[in-house]
Amino acid sequence: MDEFNDSEIARLLRLKRYEQPPLGYFENFLHEFHRRQRDELLRQPLWRICLERAHNFMLQLNVRSLTSYPAAVTAVLLCAAIISLKIYQQPETARVALQSPPTISVPASAEGEWNLASPVATQILRTQPVRSFHESAQTHRAAPPRYVLDSVPVSYEPTFRF
Amino acid sequence: MNPSVALPARRISDLLSSGLEARAKSKRNAMDQPRTDPDQELVKRTQSGDAAAFDELVIKYTPRLYGLVYNMTSNHEDTNDLLQDIFAKAYKAIRGFRGKSSFYTWIHSIAVNMTLNFLKKRGRRFQLSLDDVDASIQNDKEFLELTATSSPVREADLSELQRRLNEAMMKLSDEHRAVVTMFHIQGMPHAEISKILRVSEGTVRSRLFYANRQLQNYLDEFRKNPVS
Repeated sequence: MDEFNDSEIARLLRLKRYEQPPLGYFENFLHEFHRRQRDELLRQPLWRICLERAHNFMLQLNVRSLTSYPAAVTAVLLCAAIISLKIYQQPETARVALQSPPTISVPASAEGEWNLASPVATQILRTQPVRSFHESAQTHRAAPPRYVLDSVPVSYEPTFRF
Repeated sequence: MNPSVALPARRISDLLSSGLEARAKSKRNAMDQPRTDPDQELVKRTQSGDAAAFDELVIKYTPRLYGLVYNMTSNHEDTNDLLQDIFAKAYKAIRGFRGKSSFYTWIHSIAVNMTLNFLKKRGRRFQLSLDDVDASIQNDKEFLELTATSSPVREADLSELQRRLNEAMMKLSDEHRAVVTMFHIQGMPHAEISKILRVSEGTVRSRLFYANRQLQNYLDEFRKNPVS
């Protein structure tokens, strides 16, 4: 025979299974493992042990699968915020549009005194809607004084046309 | 064709085909079903903090992993230290083990990777520290056949044969030695080795072929001079 063939090499290598560690090695291995683990644990600083424990705890909770929940909650909150902003902005603009043109109104107290003897119709330019007595009383106390302006210039010419 | 004859014939063929289909379906189902990991229960218990379950895994896998690491390092002391580190690492990492592979494959991957890293650091400067050959080898059928047929094996004493074999193994590259150890010594199939090493089965086969050629060359010296 010139050289070992493949099957002979395989058989020779299989004989290496008979190389075994000293008797009792496998029985003592677990004790040695525990001893080394304890030693390593005692050598570690306290903060590292705490960090490791926390890390293990987080792994146990399976934090990776929970990461989608905060993302979903944030997205929902953002959507809600945007929608609510739009809802609140729409009536504001409508109110401004109603208030913007100056309204010409005559106070109720002045209506009774309206007659031909007083040629000049005193009209009050108001930019605010008419308020109730209580409301105006409250605002009069706190708000600065308001000035009444004539919207139509004073004229003594007769207004009749023929 | 007479329909009264054709009908039973069709029925028979239908029955046959349905039977074949059912058998093929059951076979397909058996293949589709993932094989249950025998260590699954112990792994789950370890993951939930039961250290005793991990002890059982250590007891179960120590002899097998010892053989793997020892035959890659040819040094008992290095093997012992490495094995301790392997189990320590496995214990730390087991909470992250999701069962995509079996525990067997997973722990063997850790063992092989850690041993390969160790061998890279150790380099070529090392001494053989071999375990004793168990006396039961004298009763081994293959050993008896080898001593009967192969003259170098017959002429060399057992310790000489052991030394030559280990020297030949250590002349292989670390990756080739890993494949030879798993296939020839541990008796793992190619598919399992490819999973552990995360290479294709073709790569495993080619490494094995190349390693066998190299071993033939290295052992040729032993064949010519059985007693040095």
